[in-house]
Amino acid sequence: MDINKIEILNVIPAVFAGADLSASEIWASNVEFEAGKRYLISAESGTGKSSLCSYIYGYRRDYSGEIRIGGRNVRSLSVAEWCDIRRRGIAYLPQDMRLFGELTSLENVQLKNGLTGHKTRAQIEDMLAQVGLADKVHSLVSRMSIGQQQRVAIVRALCQPFKFLILDEPVSHLDETNNAVIATLVEQEARSQGAAVIATSVGNNVKLEADKEFKL
Amino acid sequence: MWKLLRKHISVGQFVGFSLANLIGLGIVIVALQFYSDVRPVFDDEDGFLKKDYLVITRKVSGAGALLGGTAAFDAEAIADLKSQPWVRSVGEFSTSSYAIYASVNVGGGRAMRTQFFFESLPSEYIDVSQDRWNYTPGGEIPVIMSKDYLSLYNFGYATSVGMPQISEGMAEMIPLMFTLTGNGRSESFSGRIVGFSNRLNTVIVPEEFMRWSNAEYGDGTSPAPARLIVEVNSPGDVRIGEYMDGHRYEVSGDKANSSKANYFLTIVVGIVVAVGVLISALSFFVLMLSIYLLLQKNVKKLKDLLLLGYSPSEVAAPYVRLVVAVNAAVLVLSVALMLLARLYYLPMLRAMGVEGASLWLSIGVGVLLLSLITVGNVLAIRRKVRSLW
Repeated sequence: MDINKIEILNVIPAVFAGADLSASEIWASNVEFEAGKRYLISAESGTGKSSLCSYIYGYRRDYSGEIRIGGRNVRSLSVAEWCDIRRRGIAYLPQDMRLFGELTSLENVQLKNGLTGHKTRAQIEDMLAQVGLADKVHSLVSRMSIGQQQRVAIVRALCQPFKFLILDEPVSHLDETNNAVIATLVEQEARSQGAAVIATSVGNNVKLEADKEFKL
Repeated sequence: MWKLLRKHISVGQFVGFSLANLIGLGIVIVALQFYSDVRPVFDDEDGFLKKDYLVITRKVSGAGALLGGTAAFDAEAIADLKSQPWVRSVGEFSTSSYAIYASVNVGGGRAMRTQFFFESLPSEYIDVSQDRWNYTPGGEIPVIMSKDYLSLYNFGYATSVGMPQISEGMAEMIPLMFTLTGNGRSESFSGRIVGFSNRLNTVIVPEEFMRWSNAEYGDGTSPAPARLIVEVNSPGDVRIGEYMDGHRYEVSGDKANSSKANYFLTIVVGIVVAVGVLISALSFFVLMLSIYLLLQKNVKKLKDLLLLGYSPSEVAAPYVRLVVAVNAAVLVLSVALMLLARLYYLPMLRAMGVEGASLWLSIGVGVLLLSLITVGNVLAIRRKVRSLW
């Protein structure tokens, strides 16, 4: 499926049904994300930032309105199509990262990379080194700090072909330096693929030059 | 992925399942194999005589014999029998009218020797290929013998004097020597057993040999037949039994008892197989439960894998492989169990003159049963994983 844009059409999360959403620039509005652009979505806690990500990534459907990926209503996508989107269309960093604690950082990344063989092992090790985890390649993720885990999860998200990269609070546990490192890596990878980046935050934004900022 | 998902696998549960399933499947396979191996012992089927042929004799009564009565059928009795509506045709056994000695060379110059007799039947009643059932002057005499004689030898004589028991196949390979005496002449002929019959309670030679030998050595008389072979429309006809009783005739080789035994064997095997299937079914649920438990413990991981873009069938694959491997191992083990059990009972059956039946029925049923179980397991795993989507 050729994914060049994601449209959010009058989407209202089920929990917000009937609530006043006039302050939101996304809920109950029509928003379009295009491949190649950078978007920042800032939100206060509890305004449905992770919900938005999970709606787009297709694992929650508790909303009204319509989300279209590449012109298709996501509710009509089959399991196989979703698998394809998750492998080659949309890369996603969940806020809670969802790493496997019993695997090493390299194994975690390889689990994702193995689906498409997007990167070589050397490239993966290089990326881990870039985010300052050169000595943690073979460490179990469960023994790593939250900040380190966050970087592993970002590297994992980058190890696939994508047109959209959705980062749910990518730098919430990172310092300024690491934030900059991540931003560079993300920018590099997104540009090489001609992809869009949609990053959310509750204040601590990833240091990307946004084409557009939304308030959720 | 396997490294990730194997974590909660309980070896105990899988061993439990495998054992339970092994017992269940083992029972099914062994019972079925035993059944197909043993059945011929009770079977009425006779290679030499079709089902709708009855061999009848007269009941010998003590008084009749003392008064010089004969157990033979006279022309009147035969005509009466032929006129019955359930009779298709009647054939007469002819008897040898000369003395016969049969001897078997037992090696070392020793021979076993016994007085003997021959009977013959019109060849259309005997179902043996012509090249085996055919006497050419100077050639071997083909003989069909009653299976009871072999049993008599194996279980009566051989065991009591310490001779080896012989199977049908072996008996057919033993060269026999018949010495025919009559008309002042005595000559020896070689012979060979071509088969054993359940229903011909006598020794049968080809009719042409009988005719020739009776002319050659016989006293010229042709006694009335003591046995008749009757082709009937339906052997189950009640009128047959009434007629036989009314005329004090006996149907020989009547296997009513063995068909009862066969019936009970079938029932018993049926019950045993049902128990085996039940155990297999229960073990199926044991496996089901432990797989569900395993999946349940791994739900979060499975969901995360799906989120990474793994398809439900990819996520299910390690469990499917596990189940298929376990089930395949169970199948192999239960077939091995069956072969082992067979090694145990087959010699006893051989002594009764029954060769083992083919293995395909039991193995086929085993494969079928395990395939069903495996398909059930796999579908359940797939459904469970799919439900996580």
